[in-house]
Amino acid sequence: MKELLTPKKLIFRVVSALLVLVAVMLVCSLIGTESISLKAVFNGPGTQTANPDYQIFVEFRLPRIILACLVGAALACSGVVFQALLRNPLADPYILGISSGAGLGAIIAVICGFNWTVWGRSPIAVFAFAGALGTVWLVWFIGRMAGRFHVTGLLLAGVVVNAFFSAVIMFLTSIAKSQQVYSTIFWLMGNMTEEDFLVLWIGSGCVIGGIIALFYISPQLNALSFGEEDARSMGVNIAGTQIIAFAIAAAITAVAVSLSGLIGFVGLLVPHAVRLVFGPDHRQLLPLSGIVGAIFLVIADTLARIIIAPAQLPVGVVTAILGGPFFLVLLVKYSRKVSWLK
Amino acid sequence: MSAIIEVKNLSFGYTPQNTILKDISFEIKAGTFLAIAGPNGAGKSTLLNLLCGALKPKSGTIKIDAAPIESYKSEALAGKVAVVRQEFVPVFGFSVIETVLMARTPYFGTFGFENKTDKQIVTEALEATDTAQFALRPLGSLSGGERQRVFIARALAANSPVLLLDEPTSFLDLKHQVGIYDLLKNAQLEKGKTIVAITHDINMAAQYCDEILLLGANSSYHIGQAKDVFSPEQIEKVFGVRTFVGSLGREKFFIPLGKFAKDSGQITDKHI
Repeated sequence: MKELLTPKKLIFRVVSALLVLVAVMLVCSLIGTESISLKAVFNGPGTQTANPDYQIFVEFRLPRIILACLVGAALACSGVVFQALLRNPLADPYILGISSGAGLGAIIAVICGFNWTVWGRSPIAVFAFAGALGTVWLVWFIGRMAGRFHVTGLLLAGVVVNAFFSAVIMFLTSIAKSQQVYSTIFWLMGNMTEEDFLVLWIGSGCVIGGIIALFYISPQLNALSFGEEDARSMGVNIAGTQIIAFAIAAAITAVAVSLSGLIGFVGLLVPHAVRLVFGPDHRQLLPLSGIVGAIFLVIADTLARIIIAPAQLPVGVVTAILGGPFFLVLLVKYSRKVSWLK
Repeated sequence: MSAIIEVKNLSFGYTPQNTILKDISFEIKAGTFLAIAGPNGAGKSTLLNLLCGALKPKSGTIKIDAAPIESYKSEALAGKVAVVRQEFVPVFGFSVIETVLMARTPYFGTFGFENKTDKQIVTEALEATDTAQFALRPLGSLSGGERQRVFIARALAANSPVLLLDEPTSFLDLKHQVGIYDLLKNAQLEKGKTIVAITHDINMAAQYCDEILLLGANSSYHIGQAKDVFSPEQIEKVFGVRTFVGSLGREKFFIPLGKFAKDSGQITDKHI
């Protein structure tokens, strides 16, 4: 029984991972085009003369790092949930059409030329959020037309809706003016600029609340990994668990997408990496994936800021370049532990 | 002994037009080992899914422990009926002990963790099924027979009085088939479990089970002791195959022989 996950072990690992996250956040906030010192930052805003270190830290670096944490955690946890619900190691947060729905929303907003804001959010973000949630609802609706939750039906519905919306996006891109297209494509590649703390706090609240709720149903997700019928015989309320898990995962992904565009790889690789090292138990997989996702995206975003400074890379490029090789190393090292590789 | 499962006038069909099970009634007494036999498509797995609440009857009632099955919430039903499905490998690499522990999910505390009693029950289930030796190995690395024992351990760990099994020995060699039936019989005798197992092996059913439910085509069915249910005429009628009949102590045994089988000539009316 020694090898089993215990509350003590879980708390120790989560707290250790959180400490690593805080350390990474601190280090990453100090480096960039302009290096700043922590000592100067703690001197405060300055009364007579401005304190540039403090300003850079509070106004630019901190919001960006908090945003990266938020998005990384949301995507990683959502990936864990979709992989469990669909019992498919290839599932990621975008598998059921969230990406194309958000993209379609974004491009519609750009083409219509809206210029209002909601809580400081541009129409692109608002439309992307609505597009993402609308698409998930549509896929869920189509997938359930057979009368019950059917993994294959849901995946097929996701693929079809994804393909259809991608075609519509391409059509709209072809008829739009080039400047409009550029801003949409840039947005879709993933960006990490957010100055408004209110939006960040609201986003954080949604994501952290969602992850806590998902943790609460993680034993049920364990059972669901064995299939619906098996999970039912283990006393799991199938319909309730599926709807709650699906809705929360879709909602936190939509929040992430509307804040930062589409960032690939995090939602697919982080859950697998954590599973390879710590095992498939969702009670541990979920919180650790959230924290590791946050660490991963903070580092990736810092690299995106500094690699070709003063210009910036889209963070999605860095996540793929950084994540791919790192994941392969893990795979080679731990592959004997993974049954789906055999 | 009282009936732990009561089925009354049960009918079911996957579409309104076709009916797989029609007007079936039977009782299973607590502590009985019952085998469900019959040809493919007779509705054996459908009946099993009805008995564990995965399907809802078109008409008729199913009572588990004197209460209608639909009155149970999923957690409470899992405390009454545990199911072992046909052997499969899960996608993610859960270890044997993690898998068996999942049977305790309905009893986990607020934060989703097991307590000492759960661990004790899981240890006993691992020992009873002789799976403790590979408790830490991932399920995917085990052989079919070992994996099936793990799923039976999980069903035992649910601590429910009824075990339902869907062809528990279908992919196993002779040694493991016998091993699984001995294990189930032991659970019946030692722990007083009521065991309902679908099987294609009528000889094994005759040797190990107290009662047989033989489902035939057109919703016909017979329930009773093996010696009454399994007659050569009945088997030929239900399965459409002639059998060589021998006897071994208290029970008969049947060898199905097609027309090109070497000894098909041995089947004479004398044997029937």
